[in-house]
Amino acid sequence: MSEIKLNLSINGKNIKRSTKSHYRLLDFLREDLDLTGTKEGCGAGECGTCSVFVNGKLIKSCLMPVAKVNGSKIETVESLGTPDKMSEVQKAFCLTGASQCGFCIPGMVMAATSTLRNNPKSSLEEIKEEMGGNICRCTGYQKIFEAVEIARDVINKKQNKNVFDKYYKPENSFIGANVKRIDAPSKVTGNLKYAADMKMQNMLHMQVLRSDRPHAKIKKIDLSKALKLKGVVTAVTSDDVPGIDNFGVFVEDQPVLAKNKVRYVGEAIVAVAAESVEIAKEALSKIKIIYEDLPCLFKSEEALKNKILIHEDYKTNVVKHIPIRKGNIDEGFAKADVIIEDDFSTQPVDHAYLEPMAGISYVDQDGVLTIVSPSQNITHHRHMMAKIMNLPIHKVRFIMSPVGGGFGGKEDMIYQGMLALLAMKTRLPIKYVMSREEDIVSTAKRHPTKTHYKMGLLNNGKITAVEIKTLSDGGAYGCSTEGVMRKAAILGAGPYHIENLKMDTIGVYTNNTPSGAFRSFGALQTEFATESMMDLASEKLNLDPFEIRRVNAFKKGDLTHTKQKLNSASINNVLDELEKLCKWDKGSSNHRGEERKDLNSSDNRESCTLGARLETNRSRVSK
Amino acid sequence: MSLTKKRGRGMAAAWYGIARTAAMDQAGAWAEIDDGGTAKIVTGVTEIGEGILTVLAQVAAEELGVKPENVMIGENDTSRSPEAAHAGATRQTYMIGNAVALACRQAKNKLFAQIAKEWNVDIQTLKAHDGEIWSEGTNYRIPMSEAIKICKKKYGVVPVGGENYTSHHTGLHPEDGSGKPWQAYVFGGQVAEVEVDTATGEVQLLGIWACHDVGRAINPKGVEGQVEGGVVQAVGQALMENFELDNGKTSSGNLAKYILPTSLDVPKVKTKIVEDPDPLSPLGAKGIGEPAMVPTAPAIMNAIYDAVGVRIKSLPATPEKILSALREKQRKSLNKSLN
Repeated sequence: MSEIKLNLSINGKNIKRSTKSHYRLLDFLREDLDLTGTKEGCGAGECGTCSVFVNGKLIKSCLMPVAKVNGSKIETVESLGTPDKMSEVQKAFCLTGASQCGFCIPGMVMAATSTLRNNPKSSLEEIKEEMGGNICRCTGYQKIFEAVEIARDVINKKQNKNVFDKYYKPENSFIGANVKRIDAPSKVTGNLKYAADMKMQNMLHMQVLRSDRPHAKIKKIDLSKALKLKGVVTAVTSDDVPGIDNFGVFVEDQPVLAKNKVRYVGEAIVAVAAESVEIAKEALSKIKIIYEDLPCLFKSEEALKNKILIHEDYKTNVVKHIPIRKGNIDEGFAKADVIIEDDFSTQPVDHAYLEPMAGISYVDQDGVLTIVSPSQNITHHRHMMAKIMNLPIHKVRFIMSPVGGGFGGKEDMIYQGMLALLAMKTRLPIKYVMSREEDIVSTAKRHPTKTHYKMGLLNNGKITAVEIKTLSDGGAYGCSTEGVMRKAAILGAGPYHIENLKMDTIGVYTNNTPSGAFRSFGALQTEFATESMMDLASEKLNLDPFEIRRVNAFKKGDLTHTKQKLNSASINNVLDELEKLCKWDKGSSNHRGEERKDLNSSDNRESCTLGARLETNRSRVSK
Repeated sequence: MSLTKKRGRGMAAAWYGIARTAAMDQAGAWAEIDDGGTAKIVTGVTEIGEGILTVLAQVAAEELGVKPENVMIGENDTSRSPEAAHAGATRQTYMIGNAVALACRQAKNKLFAQIAKEWNVDIQTLKAHDGEIWSEGTNYRIPMSEAIKICKKKYGVVPVGGENYTSHHTGLHPEDGSGKPWQAYVFGGQVAEVEVDTATGEVQLLGIWACHDVGRAINPKGVEGQVEGGVVQAVGQALMENFELDNGKTSSGNLAKYILPTSLDVPKVKTKIVEDPDPLSPLGAKGIGEPAMVPTAPAIMNAIYDAVGVRIKSLPATPEKILSALREKQRKSLNKSLN
């Protein structure tokens, strides 16, 4: 591999050294200089986690070939401050709680610093525009905006810098106190090491060959050419699994590596360990797989027919059906003054945590298989891994590395098994970092759903009966489908006392990307349908939407949809507070729009308009 | 304002259960009052960004009488820390928070027993807060650092505690679904204000008012952070995100094709916390992680209807869907006026 000589300034130090000529600035900083505060979230200039200054200008280091910055002055997040000596921007981020998982935060801090260096008097709208190239998946940006405005005001001496020391000194209790996040200093300075930032001696790198077919038999895997490549240490397939080869959050049906057949595009087939990521990638291109394509199943309605089976052993494509029955819906609908019937659907979405999947595995001095990864459930992973590797449970150790966002996506154990196989086989540490593309194609998504809904009501808004049927595409493997169907069923009919209810949620296998755990876990999908129905009813019965919900809201002592007696129910209180908070203008949901009296309050943000501030920018340039 | 831009508001309510669904849930924790009046908490907690470490530091500080910045929380390691299970199901504050509180109470009782002996006072008169320990109604008052020294050096006792918290849930009946899936429930509601451009079909979400019962709020700023983040994830779900598949292959395979909300897409969020403490658990806290994003998408769809009279029943409400629904609406009203 060719090398180039560099002579440049990094964080005030002159650096003269050679590096790989194909490296991006990001690789040079992280791999050669161990400046791991600069993160890789997407590798395509979309997320901003890799933001650095080149000659004072904010750039995305994943898009910059290192050769191009030769002779330049580079500043990374490490130059801005340390946990003991933070910059104004970093202190402000700690103050407002602007860091959650922290993975986007070094980039955010760089973008905020750039914004205030370019214009120390930036308005909120300018701050938002300047930071528009940096994605945060946790915070919703509010606390970040707040932080940048505080930092701006301190820099401009409009606010005293002792605002940063503001510390909630409780008279009686730390409960209910806005104690500053204890992990914030390590996050805003880029000090915290995520799995991709870790290195071990003699470490090998893993890369994974994935299926490009949605449903196919694997006739042959030819590794011979790949294994001959210099720097390739070994490779593993399904044949290398010593124990019971399946895992899953609820249904354990997924093999560590595809066994005999592939069930979705992106499924892992071969894992290679090599001395470098580049060699491991090259090895993948030399592996030959012979497939025999099978008929595919992409629609959940088709899956119900069981003509094509995704998992032959199960004789059905239904992963889980959850029924809920309460009262008698025929009697309920007979009593109704109006009946509303409609259909709703929701799409699959990606977790898009900013930290792509990553991990390190090794076998320790006592023979304990150890896996370090940003997993949301190492307790369960340990159980499954012991079974897969045929080891006693205390010979498997999981260590949680800082999680750069999860939202349910990091509950599945989809790559730790491969790391374990290679670590046991080579007795060397193995590291794996997914690219964003690999993460998107291989990991589980939010369950897409189709819901048919029928609701009967009296003229006063009281619900007499509800019938809901939700069909959901669980994709190729069970993952969390069972649990998601359960939660969707239990909560789906909403926070309302309904005497007559028939609810069914059904999750099925298809050859689509698996669906899995995702924040709000099925309840988001079914409650969306219910809350849309409540507004349809509000219009039909000419009732205010708060009112119709109050008529039906649970009260203490009511029986839930699963016939559990509630020991408390704050819904009426919540509705009252919400109505006051937004100064709701009463009226039915009948497209009142501009006639409403509660619009355009200062609680809204400004609406974005094309060309806003173009004039001010132009005048600044002309100066 | 442009003539094609129409504003409207919509609301939605929601509810959610706390901790593992329809199955027993449990979490363990160890606590130690350590030298210098500090505390050591070890539990299988998973900080995924929600701020659980800070919540546990507050709980430990409160229960032990030390300062939150003097609480050390150990790594989550299946070979070194007690099981506290997963980061999910809106369970960590409820399950692990209570486990830590109970473990701390044990450790504190061990310390208090020695100090009561030392001062020859009734243990019931002892109080500890913010790094100090004292006996009510007396002049005895010393720093916690002093108390731990006495406890160890003079009485030979390391004040440690180890406890578990259980949330009692039952499975669902296989035929009628009856059962007790959770012991604690939370409720919430949100109002959305949107501006819909009838020329482009584009929806701008300008404001969200969010009201959520979280039980006892341990760190209100942290709760706000969860609500704001949940709302914005739901904005993605409601208006822009879509993992598209064609014959099993995705066309949204990177962040250039898979569109996420940025700083320019997000509404101002105004949060009001309602505290209805859980009557069954020591802390009274419940949770907020997942419920925060449940009412957002329907509130936005209801607001779009309010603004322009079209109901989007299939998420996400992309400009294309809104334009086609507006055209359909126009066609229907034209037919009506012609007939």
